[in-house]
Amino acid sequence: MNTHNKIHLVITSLFVFGTNLFTSAQNPIPAKTSQEKTILFTDAVLHNGKETYESGILGIAGGKVVLSGDAKLIRPDEAAFDTVISLNGKHIYPGLIAMNTTIGLNEIEQVRATHDYAETGVFNTSSRALIAYNTDSRVTPTVRFNGVMLAQSTPQGGRISGMSSVFKLDGWNWEDAVYKSDDGVHVNWPSQVVKRTSNKEDQTKQIEKNLQELEKLKSFIAEAKAYSQLQQPALINLQFEAMKDVFIGNRRLYVHTNHVLDIASSINFFKENGIKIVLVGGQDAWRLTSLLKQDSIPVVLTNIHRLPMREDDDIYLPYKIPAILKNAGVEFAISCEGFWQVRNLAFHAGTAVAFGLSYDDAIAAITSMPAKLLGIDKTTGTLLPGMDATLIISKGDLLDMGSSKIEHAFIEGSEIDLDNIQLKLYNKYMDKYQLNQQ
Amino acid sequence: MIKKFLLATLFAIYGIAYCQPSHFPLNGVRDERPVYYAFKNCTIFRPGGDTLKNAYLLIKGDRIEAIGQNITIPSGTVVYDLSGKFIYPSFIEPFTSYGMPAASKPERQASPQYTSERSGSYSWNEALKSEVDAYKLFSTQPDSGKNLRDAGFGTAISLVRDGVARGTATAVSLAPISVHQSIIKDKVAACYSLNKGTSTQDYPGSQMGAIALLRQAWYDSQWYEKGGKDLYNDISLEAWNSNKTLRQYFEVSDKQMALRAQKIGDEFNIKFIIKGAGDEYQRLAEIKKTGSTFIIPVNFPENYDLSDPYTSLNVSIGVLKHWELAPFNAYLLDSAGISFALTADGLKDPKEFIKQLRIINRTGFDRQKILQACTTIPARIFGIEKETGDLKKGMLANFIIVSGDLFDPESELMENWTAGKRNVLKDATTPDYNGMYTLFLGRLPGKQLLIEEKGPGNISAFMVHDSSRTAVTISISGKSIMLFVNDTISSNDDFYRLSGNMISQNPITFEGTGTNKKGQWFNWKAAWDSIPAVAENGEEKSETLERGTIWYPNKAYGRIAIPQQEQVIIRNATVWTNESDGVLKNTDVLIKAGKIQAIGQNLDTIGCRVLDGTGKHLTSGIIDEHSHIAITGGVNECTQSVTAEVRIGDVLNSEDLNIYRQLAGGVTAAQLLHGSCNPIGGQSGLIKLRWGVAPEKLKIAGASGFIKFALGENVKQSNWGDNYNSRYPQSRMGVEQIYYDAFWRAREYEHTWKNISKGSNTPRKDLELETLVEILSSKRFVTTHSYQQGEINMLMHVADSMGFKLNTFTHILEGYKVADKMKAHGVGASTFSDWWAYKYEVIEAIPYNGAIMDQMGIVVAYNSDDAEMARRLNQEAAKAIKYGGLSEEEAWKFVTLNPAKLLHLDDTMGSIKVGKDADVVLWNHNPLSVYAIPLYTFVDGICYYSKVDDDALKIQNENERARIIAKMMAKKESDKGSEQMATEDEPEVKHCINKEDLNP
Repeated sequence: MNTHNKIHLVITSLFVFGTNLFTSAQNPIPAKTSQEKTILFTDAVLHNGKETYESGILGIAGGKVVLSGDAKLIRPDEAAFDTVISLNGKHIYPGLIAMNTTIGLNEIEQVRATHDYAETGVFNTSSRALIAYNTDSRVTPTVRFNGVMLAQSTPQGGRISGMSSVFKLDGWNWEDAVYKSDDGVHVNWPSQVVKRTSNKEDQTKQIEKNLQELEKLKSFIAEAKAYSQLQQPALINLQFEAMKDVFIGNRRLYVHTNHVLDIASSINFFKENGIKIVLVGGQDAWRLTSLLKQDSIPVVLTNIHRLPMREDDDIYLPYKIPAILKNAGVEFAISCEGFWQVRNLAFHAGTAVAFGLSYDDAIAAITSMPAKLLGIDKTTGTLLPGMDATLIISKGDLLDMGSSKIEHAFIEGSEIDLDNIQLKLYNKYMDKYQLNQQ
Repeated sequence: MIKKFLLATLFAIYGIAYCQPSHFPLNGVRDERPVYYAFKNCTIFRPGGDTLKNAYLLIKGDRIEAIGQNITIPSGTVVYDLSGKFIYPSFIEPFTSYGMPAASKPERQASPQYTSERSGSYSWNEALKSEVDAYKLFSTQPDSGKNLRDAGFGTAISLVRDGVARGTATAVSLAPISVHQSIIKDKVAACYSLNKGTSTQDYPGSQMGAIALLRQAWYDSQWYEKGGKDLYNDISLEAWNSNKTLRQYFEVSDKQMALRAQKIGDEFNIKFIIKGAGDEYQRLAEIKKTGSTFIIPVNFPENYDLSDPYTSLNVSIGVLKHWELAPFNAYLLDSAGISFALTADGLKDPKEFIKQLRIINRTGFDRQKILQACTTIPARIFGIEKETGDLKKGMLANFIIVSGDLFDPESELMENWTAGKRNVLKDATTPDYNGMYTLFLGRLPGKQLLIEEKGPGNISAFMVHDSSRTAVTISISGKSIMLFVNDTISSNDDFYRLSGNMISQNPITFEGTGTNKKGQWFNWKAAWDSIPAVAENGEEKSETLERGTIWYPNKAYGRIAIPQQEQVIIRNATVWTNESDGVLKNTDVLIKAGKIQAIGQNLDTIGCRVLDGTGKHLTSGIIDEHSHIAITGGVNECTQSVTAEVRIGDVLNSEDLNIYRQLAGGVTAAQLLHGSCNPIGGQSGLIKLRWGVAPEKLKIAGASGFIKFALGENVKQSNWGDNYNSRYPQSRMGVEQIYYDAFWRAREYEHTWKNISKGSNTPRKDLELETLVEILSSKRFVTTHSYQQGEINMLMHVADSMGFKLNTFTHILEGYKVADKMKAHGVGASTFSDWWAYKYEVIEAIPYNGAIMDQMGIVVAYNSDDAEMARRLNQEAAKAIKYGGLSEEEAWKFVTLNPAKLLHLDDTMGSIKVGKDADVVLWNHNPLSVYAIPLYTFVDGICYYSKVDDDALKIQNENERARIIAKMMAKKESDKGSEQMATEDEPEVKHCINKEDLNP
């Protein structure tokens, strides 16, 4: 029901992007900042990243949210907006934020030449996803298509993988696309878990090796800490330089680990070193909720769609962990590993809802919570007034694949093109066979 | 010193026993000893007869001469008095590599090895070593031989544990005699396994490959005998044929493999002797049905160190339950009437064997039967019962002397005589010195002397005065004794140095002379008085062990009994029929005798369990067209380009927890596919998810046969690393040629068999080509892993020109580009909803693929190819709505009716229709919703999963876990034995040689 008699947004979209659908193999053109318009969305189900307004209203101007909330309580001046759009009960969500991905760093899993997510060596603190990030990846538009607007591109491998950065999934180049540079250092905690082997000697060797690995990390951290106190080091150690901001709390330290044994010991170790970590993986985190709560350690749950770690576990355990953490008062975000796979991020959150997490908490786990964990929550992650106008409009429930359909997406107030190579190929062959889109 | 000398002498005397046959040239003077040995006053246990008390055993040379209570001792007899001792036959070790050369595995090369590198006209496959004869390789090994003798063994069945066909085993004496005299029987059995051992040849790379190799070799041996030998020479097949009359002996590594082994045996009318793994009790009924004889180990799991609650999470309920139940294996096998012998194989030290027998005895298993399982039964199994295994006149003088009843934990194994040769652990003829003695020193009043003997040579003594003790230095050697007594107790500040001899054995009495501190000499005497009272702590040790319950399967989420068929009515549900009726609201469905009996409203509920379906959705079960769960020992036989002979159905693992997890995702049936690493892979297994049953019972009876083909990067080995660039094909060009070549060979094979002329030799039966002939004659159907349009097109041309139809393209991510051609060929598609970008050939994969193909009239399914995603296939189906705008009903068919059609199962599955199998799921929401969860999953009208039941099973899991851990912790307190670390289970590796094998 469009009661405002203003232009329907679909037309805007087609007007801007609706050319050369069948000819271009290129990614869509990045949005122009000049597109920033003042728009008032009415008659929307507004999910602002924290709560839901069944009859919601949202105004954006200058790339920011200027008003947002319950339409029954807010009476905006419609004349102040270039466009007023009634959404007829469609849903507005903050743009989704995907943590711990390899978007822009990996193009084809089994083609090595397209890999830029792992450096050789053990301690790679200083290597940066920032400059390897490929804005022209064919994969990124397909992820955007499902509502992911920001992603943390994260190095992998080694004991310390390097530094991640947070990117808007739209832009001409990495400088243009980056939202937060070098936001965190990623540590793969040396697990102390011993694997079953046929003979005991191998197990003893494993214990020794595990301990050695732990010692190496411990001395690295100790020396990096000492180095950080030097006013003018006699020589520059790039690995230690990258750690400086971690020690003063200006850069996150992400610790990737899953087993309860390792989670407990990694938290304690970094606590002794004055570092408050973000736990990534954390499959056993639910066993340590009081520790996590007491030390305010947040968790990035990588993949809700996974098998339990152990045969004895509740068969649905990974689906239930978000609700368990929520009920225990532990902060967490839901993420989805990989790059092309990230387009299913919302559905991971949907499964968590099926297994006890509230809808608003599930949305928060892929919007406001990741923003908070990434330290970008002052400007994005929610749709409260003053925040970035980074948002998506879905025809139906975003978390449910049968109804999720993103019709429009905005990053900092500019509408972005949702076209992608897959849509192009779809149209190309529907045309070839002269089939009708349903 | 004297004692040491004596032992050395003893060894020297019997050591000569490494003598040789008497006609061999001798350097020196003949030393044969034509004397008898008699053992008197002992209890003689005969597994095949009565136990004799106060009996005699008379031996001469290597044989038993007489046995009984009233026998005449001839002159020329050495007589040993064994008062109070027990004699048993020495044990037979039925599974060992004693005396075999140590196997050394050549280092595997980085690049693959497709052909045998053996020189000589042996089998084409290095893992077939049927020509190996253990008796020809046998040499005596003094150390390990002594070790086995010290454990009580007198005879061994020895084999070379290497290869899928291992040649023959031999029966050897463990006596310290010459190699020439050691062989009791040269060939006792032909041996097999599913482990290729030291072979560096790639094939077989999987367990199903090993099974195929064995089956083919059996057929080859038959063909070779009937004429193949005229064409070429094969030493291995020749040996195979000459070994056919022997017993057939198969080593397996778990109970399911035991079932697989005997299934091979059944094909060739062979009953195997199966060397098991000790977990046979977990599938007792099926094990019994094999009719095989078993050799079972007694290496029960050690306690786990569970003191750390974190690391103890690594130990699963299945592992804990096996820890508790393993000792009961023998008892349970016997109760089921299964014949078996016991082996020390797997024990860290064979000397633990007797200790383990005592544990078995505590499970309630009869002593006589335990001893038979170590003596007469193995002798009979391997056909050496006339030689050994019992104590009868004429048999080998193989017997052990035990200080008391073997099953008494305090009893010690003292001597083991093998082939009449003595082996001493503790001289059985010397008395037991333990006891309280009265010691008279000169004219002093008698003092109390306590002598304790804790093992051979480990003697200590104490002066006892009231409750205090003073250590006394003691040394006993042979019959002489020395004592040094420092008398601090009686406060007369004196010491005594005593030397003497034993003058009587019954009771033990020592006499001699000694001096005191002042150097005065006196006579002394010590006489055995009584057995000192000791604190009773041995009682607990002989208590009967408490037995836990066996679950099916014996791990988390197992059940005490497998669920049974029910008569159930689902009342007032929204029913997704997948038929022309569409989705019916407020409808009842009656399931009975495993079938859907009625669909309607207000159906009669008499005699039914009623499930309220109000607000819930009932669908037919999800069918996963492409799955790799429930498979053991590799899903790929990657090692050749064509492996049509291998069968997933041979290696089903019905205990994969993913079966249960997927029931909880609404899956009721699946096609278990071979992997995709070769153009023609192996045959599929079509199963229903019947959690708890034995592997064979997973199979869908009467289902069509399918086989996996694969195209593109995987079969070209594009992503296998730089060492894999030699196998044909390396390009899509070669892939086509592989098919034409294979099918032309198959045609020729078919022709050969159809045109056998009289008098000519029977052609060779070829399992690979036979399978291809089935494809050509539309008796087996092809599911092809495929991505790019070019190769899809190519394979349809191959099929058209060879005269058969492809059944299904799986993955088929570029199917949308050739959907018109696929439609024309009549092939179906089983695809992913939205996968792409994982390899070069999928860069143009699109999530609209399913929808386009569906609109083009192709039967389309969504599959998982992934154990996790399989339990969310309902969500995947919903993506066909998102991408391509299918209706809910059509999308739902992508995971139910359409895969049923692709698998030719749609006459019994895939929809809710009267008469079809009652494979149904009751969901809490619209099944296509991300919020949908199955509440009940029925297969054949049997409720294998329900949310209510799952809650109960979780409690059962927790309770069982807590109970066994408490038991283990209590045991940790009491027996301080060695423990094993609580390590993390490695998930079963589902690939053969490299990680690429599991790639989609």
